[in-house]
Amino acid sequence: MSGTGGHDHSGGATVKERADLALNNDFLRKAVKFTTERLKNGKLKAMEEHGNWEEWRERGKQIRLHTIAHLDYYLNQFTENARANGVHVHFADTAEEAVHISLSIAERKQAKSVVKSKSMVTEELHLNHALESIDVEAVETDLGEYIIQLAGETPSHIIIPAIHKNRYQIADLLSEDAGEKLEPDTSILAGYVRRKLRQKFLEADIGMTGCNFAIAETGSMVLFENEGNARMVTTVPRTQITLMGMERIIPSWSDLEVMATLLPRSATGQKLTVYMSGITGPRRSEDADGPDEMHIIIVDNGRSLQLGDPEFQELLNCIRCGACLNACPVYRHIGGHAYGGTYSGPIGAVLTPSLQKNVAEWDDIANASSLCGACYEACPVKIPLHEMLIYLRRRKIEAGHGDKIEAAGMKGFATVMSKSGRFNAVLKLGKFGQKLVARRGEIRIKVGPLKGWNSYRVTPSLPKKSFRDQWGTLEAEIRGGLQEMAPDVKSRMERIVKERANGAGGHGHGH
Amino acid sequence: MDTNAKTHQQWLQEMEAESRSKQTRFINGISEKLRRPMVSEPPRHPYRGAPDFWNAYEWSEEERIENFTSNFKSAGGHVERLATMDDAKRFITEKARSLSAKYVIRNKQPELDALKLESELPDARVSVWNEETTAGEGPLYWKARAAEADIGIVMADYAAAYTGSITVRSSKDKGRSVSLLPTVLIAIIPLERLKTRLGEIMVHFDEGGRENLPAGIHFISGPSRSADIENDLTIGVHGPGVVYALIVG
Repeated sequence: MSGTGGHDHSGGATVKERADLALNNDFLRKAVKFTTERLKNGKLKAMEEHGNWEEWRERGKQIRLHTIAHLDYYLNQFTENARANGVHVHFADTAEEAVHISLSIAERKQAKSVVKSKSMVTEELHLNHALESIDVEAVETDLGEYIIQLAGETPSHIIIPAIHKNRYQIADLLSEDAGEKLEPDTSILAGYVRRKLRQKFLEADIGMTGCNFAIAETGSMVLFENEGNARMVTTVPRTQITLMGMERIIPSWSDLEVMATLLPRSATGQKLTVYMSGITGPRRSEDADGPDEMHIIIVDNGRSLQLGDPEFQELLNCIRCGACLNACPVYRHIGGHAYGGTYSGPIGAVLTPSLQKNVAEWDDIANASSLCGACYEACPVKIPLHEMLIYLRRRKIEAGHGDKIEAAGMKGFATVMSKSGRFNAVLKLGKFGQKLVARRGEIRIKVGPLKGWNSYRVTPSLPKKSFRDQWGTLEAEIRGGLQEMAPDVKSRMERIVKERANGAGGHGHGH
Repeated sequence: MDTNAKTHQQWLQEMEAESRSKQTRFINGISEKLRRPMVSEPPRHPYRGAPDFWNAYEWSEEERIENFTSNFKSAGGHVERLATMDDAKRFITEKARSLSAKYVIRNKQPELDALKLESELPDARVSVWNEETTAGEGPLYWKARAAEADIGIVMADYAAAYTGSITVRSSKDKGRSVSLLPTVLIAIIPLERLKTRLGEIMVHFDEGGRENLPAGIHFISGPSRSADIENDLTIGVHGPGVVYALIVG
């Protein structure tokens, strides 16, 4: 089902081909635009209402930076405390290992069915597919996830996974599931899913969840959700398995207040999700509900590749809110499936290749970005995604994988961007991208990020100005909505260019 | 059964031994990537928790009531401001009668015991969570009682006005299912437990430490909801679709 990963949407080999698919689907475009607009406006309203947003963002960033900088300490602390709570903790270097551990538990428990709440990590692992291979039914219980599981598809948005389906398509899917005709009315459809899944919750042997945050000092795991399915999954079945990316840690409950302030507001504009649950171990012996046995599987699966890499370490700060998707003009045009990986939007564009070591297989998705900085501006923990997109392009080109991918991707993408009105700004920022590629005053690599675009559109000549001279103009012209670049980001960018000028050479690429 | 249980314990022990040896490699791998030896002393965390200006933020009692009410309502919940527990009792019994509730489940808390709902609602079967019965009922029995219930009734441990949230902690006498499985949830919030910020609640969990935490802590900010079908708001997807917060005091 959804465990088949991106294969259902990989009909095209390049973003261009997939983007054309997406652009042909008029409904998808409208739905994505409408939803992202709604979520984005919700976020803007929530930010304004809450006030001091910059200070909260900065605090969120600092907490994440601090935790990741001491990840060994905090992960160890979390593990010891979770064990003391009675949790069985496991470690998985790879997706295969995480799947193997999950299946061992399911087999040991002679499980027939698993109910799952939304988890991007299990999507990453294609766990549903693996469970079905040993005849364990895996049921997604988030309304949107259930719908796309029936459709045999993958999520197209991190927060609203079935964003690409209309209610007629949903009514058809659910009618088939129900064996009777269901009217395309939201409350009828949701009512059917409530009844159907209520049975599944009560029958299931195992409840499986992801993890929004793990609190090191108390060994607790925290879930944010609106429907109540994550609570069902962690309350009703006798065994709970939680899959957790190794970077999900925060030190304390006090730090959770900051995350609880940033995450729901950034994701949906809510002050808090309907449910926020902190689960600290299996049920106590005297309790009458909660799981008898609880497992937490801590997953690396490429995350540690970003550790110690000055250009990409901050990716580990991500709290998976989806705000960058909603802010991204590209995502809003092409939708999530065009990205072809588990994670879509600006975060997916950077995360997907970063989780894979092989540069040659890096997708051309890094090119599907306008580099406008809207993602950075939207990010509640200030991850400089737009800079990372430039680093990615540079690394790819340096590794000699620039030519054909750049050409196809950028050309295809120009079709999209020519309509967006941001095209000029994009071209101008492209100059900046070239600046980063340039070394010792010359563009050593002949295939620049604008190569594909050059053949499609006429690129204005690039006047040779010093970085400092250009900075103010770039700042004013390109960033547009970005009032001010954070001083640390700015100084880092300047430093990188300066190092280049001094012939400082490589910048941590190649892992 | 006995031998099965034993082999399962053995299996868990084997898994743990494996996990512990893996842990060392896993954590060392992280230290290596961070290019320094493993840190064993707690690192100084200068940015712990919310910014200072926020920790000083506090509303008056009236502001807390007002804001809790408007936040909870805008999330689709209902709020009643009541003077006494007698009023709460009246509200609950009237609600149960008007909804023709057949099954009610409540937590086993002294404040709820005092409402004597069992005798006030003779037409409904009122279950008391994890109450000792001669049959010695287990988790399956109690989850079934919650799943069939029309109304679940709980005392809130805390509430936060700023986000419109009710906090419930699980225990022997306080089921997680009681606030989750019934169609309607009624939560009583004694006024003195209504705080301004989430942080005023979370600080207790840090201070009490791991050993004093229950298995489940749940913040509830309205009825279960979803916008997964065409962005159309649906209420009561998996959890209770109708939620009453009764502020008493």
